[in-house]
Amino acid sequence: MGKIIVIPCSGIGKAFGTIGREAAQIVVDETRPEVTDTVCLSALVMGDEDARARVHGRHCITIDGCPVGCARKNVELAGGTVARALRVVDTYKDHRDLKPKTVTELDEAGRALAKILAQTIAEEVDRIVEAE
Amino acid sequence: MVDLPKRKVGIISCSGEELAEGTVSRVATRWVLERLRQEQTVTLCLPLFLAGGKEERAFAKFFPTIAVDGCPKLCAARATAAYSAEPAARIVVSEIAARYPDLKPESRRRLGPGGEELARRVAEEIAARVDQILAQPTRAKLVRLGEMAQPEPAQAPQDDAEPTAVCSCQGGGVPAKVVLVAGSPVSILALEPIMQQLVALGDGADGELRNKLLEMVKVYNPIPTEQEGLYAEALWREFLAYRHSGGDR
Repeated sequence: MGKIIVIPCSGIGKAFGTIGREAAQIVVDETRPEVTDTVCLSALVMGDEDARARVHGRHCITIDGCPVGCARKNVELAGGTVARALRVVDTYKDHRDLKPKTVTELDEAGRALAKILAQTIAEEVDRIVEAE
Repeated sequence: MVDLPKRKVGIISCSGEELAEGTVSRVATRWVLERLRQEQTVTLCLPLFLAGGKEERAFAKFFPTIAVDGCPKLCAARATAAYSAEPAARIVVSEIAARYPDLKPESRRRLGPGGEELARRVAEEIAARVDQILAQPTRAKLVRLGEMAQPEPAQAPQDDAEPTAVCSCQGGGVPAKVVLVAGSPVSILALEPIMQQLVALGDGADGELRNKLLEMVKVYNPIPTEQEGLYAEALWREFLAYRHSGGDR
């Protein structure tokens, strides 16, 4: 099995979209770069051959900023296998003191929430790797 | 006084996760929404758009959009065209970046000074396109009068009075009303609040009100010049019935 694909929704209207994106990039670029990768969600859904090939047969972890679950839905629509669907709001529920107020550039609370979520993603990555 | 929704431009950013240019597209879009053209723009969430968000797609069908893509794959532009309507403008970050080879983002997560300057220039190009689009009259589409065509979807989100950057999904819908124009059903955006506003304006000569009604409807709806007379007649009939009923239809 190849790298685990971490795909955030990157929703642009709310802070949770930015937090999911930031958390995914922390995992892919910093904490688990050897075993994870990401693909552009929009390219995947628009049928980009390269994006589809990279997702095909791989475990995907989706990160959604709102309950609509666009990352999970879109990965499923594109034929990907969602091994774990995470939601930023679930991390926030456990850390209500961290209320992000900015979207474009995360404030301190948003960055802290992203780091906590990144840790959760990394733990899920480790579980998948161990199970293989 | 009734608050009418303003005509706005929807900006759809690819936000591509793999590339630094995707981050630039996202940051530039947000800057336009928050700083440069706060009152004139809304953003449409591309993943929601792709997942079938009805309000997002309806907005892009009725209102002009600008697709902001990080790379030549043009995912945002292609998605908008496929699911709603051709974007009024396309911005490609990689093309703008090629004009400024010294402005390089540090990484896809951290733009750094070069990436931020590139995002600023992209944002300025987006804002310029917003101004161009809003300066143009709405694109008119000839209605096949005499045929019983299906009315267009009666929803299109917007009406965001909050002075903050917003998604089209956060705005609620611009109400649409189906009117018979020369026997054909045509969906007219914002007709109800326009009629409310005209009634609230008080008495005026009928000819003056009739012209004002048409002009206000044209702000939100493309009306072909050659069919203006037919539209004016249909709208006036609708307004008279509305006024006769006391504005409570």
